[in-house]
Amino acid sequence: MQPEPANIKGFPPNGVPIDDATLVEQWRWGDSAAMERLILKYQNRIYNVILKICANPDDAAELTQDTFVKIIQGIDKFAGKSSFYTWAFRIAVNLTLNYCQRNSRIVLQSLDAEDYDSHPSTGAGQACPERSRRVLKEFLSDNKSPDPAMEAQNKELYDILVKSLMRLDDAQRTVIVLRDIEGMNYAQIAKVLDIELGTVRSRLSRGRSRLREILEVISG
Amino acid sequence: MNRGDPNIDELLNSFIDGELTQTQQMEVRRLIADDDQIARRLRDLQKCKMLVACLPHAQAPAGTLEQIKASLQDRTLSLQTLSFQERRKTRQFSGRRVLAAAAMIALVAVSAAVIYSIFASQRTADRPTPGTAAATGFSGKLELTTSDLTAVDAFISRVIKDNELSDRVHSVSLADRRVYSFSGGRGALNLLLTDLATIWERFGSASLMVETPKFGEQIVVDAVTAAQVAQIVKQEHREESIRLAKDFAVLNNMAELLPGREILAATGEKKPSLITIPKPVLTGDGKTVKNPAPAGADTKEVELTIVVRVPKVLSD
Repeated sequence: MQPEPANIKGFPPNGVPIDDATLVEQWRWGDSAAMERLILKYQNRIYNVILKICANPDDAAELTQDTFVKIIQGIDKFAGKSSFYTWAFRIAVNLTLNYCQRNSRIVLQSLDAEDYDSHPSTGAGQACPERSRRVLKEFLSDNKSPDPAMEAQNKELYDILVKSLMRLDDAQRTVIVLRDIEGMNYAQIAKVLDIELGTVRSRLSRGRSRLREILEVISG
Repeated sequence: MNRGDPNIDELLNSFIDGELTQTQQMEVRRLIADDDQIARRLRDLQKCKMLVACLPHAQAPAGTLEQIKASLQDRTLSLQTLSFQERRKTRQFSGRRVLAAAAMIALVAVSAAVIYSIFASQRTADRPTPGTAAATGFSGKLELTTSDLTAVDAFISRVIKDNELSDRVHSVSLADRRVYSFSGGRGALNLLLTDLATIWERFGSASLMVETPKFGEQIVVDAVTAAQVAQIVKQEHREESIRLAKDFAVLNNMAELLPGREILAATGEKKPSLITIPKPVLTGDGKTVKNPAPAGADTKEVELTIVVRVPKVLSD
């Protein structure tokens, strides 16, 4: 899992982080500042996961907002059987998958409109510029391995990766995002998605294989 | 890249993710050392994971917290929730009221039993126990898309005014959408839906999201009609609304997939429907009929958020 940010509101001035269970308890006792701390603590991570699943910044912002409204409205129903973290992400992922289900046709049409293979040359406006293809190919091959952290900052490569993720089915994409981007372990993913551990393993494995195939096709 | 063996792939992915026991890890290391193909496959999967993990982390838009607060206010829920103590007091007070009510009911029941025992011999037949028709709330969201947002907004505003629904509908205008939060009785909502049905054809899409008791889960009815919304909402119990919404969701999806739909659309005919649903009375010509909402018994049993927005166009 990602390390907790050290300087966000959500931590007291002495720098000692307050755990989620304590913040939830304070919130239930009427401390609205505790609720705000929880929102500030998780808003970026939840937004990032939603964005990587739905690939639309406006909708991701709206879904993030809806997620926290649901969390606030349902905090009394939160029994504490799971952690606040997995409960919050469960709400976020459920809302996002509902969204994906409703908008699947639009997204697929949008992706199909961009024919990567029909743009072999470089130039502005190409769906997949040659340089990004080359970088990707080099990375995927054993011959040369550019620094992935540096290359992922490349806007074009970033777009290729996000669009490749969108070509996976929703279930596989969600598991990959929760594991590789949010950094959850398999047990947490199983809780968030309410599925068996074995299903997490198989979805993740199939998803990564498929993603690899898609990236190889794009890189030529 | 060759497709890997699914079982080996699962094992390798679990190895990469640190989800194997010590013994399993040793087994994988042995496999990698003995088999070049497996070693290569491991590198492929590792690179794939690395690429995804290196995607930049997006930050939530500035002012998200404020928007959440505003959204809560829109939903008539204050962010300043009642403190635990206040809620406990409320619960205690409610508890006392429940106890008092229970005592009254018990007293009435005992009295009834006594009276019944006295007059039982005079009665010739048992009467059925009256059923309890407790009205349970409906909560949902109706999403409509239109390319003519201004005209639709003007129409709905007129409907609200003509039907005297201003105190039940709270509307918010945003750049690309209008949000109408309805909170009231089924009768009042029916008035709104009846008028809305007259312009339903102008909506590019219509989806109804019905809240379920399972938190965060909704039933989504795509290509929903005004009549279907009215039928779902009018159910007396929430479970019935959910069941009906599920049925309509399946039926509408099947109707979307029926062959010949494109031909029907091209000839201007209605899309095929698997069942005929009685439509609400149409007022015609887009004009609304002044029909004041029923007062008195019109309790706040329905909460429906109607979002009318321009269709989304996914940009690159």
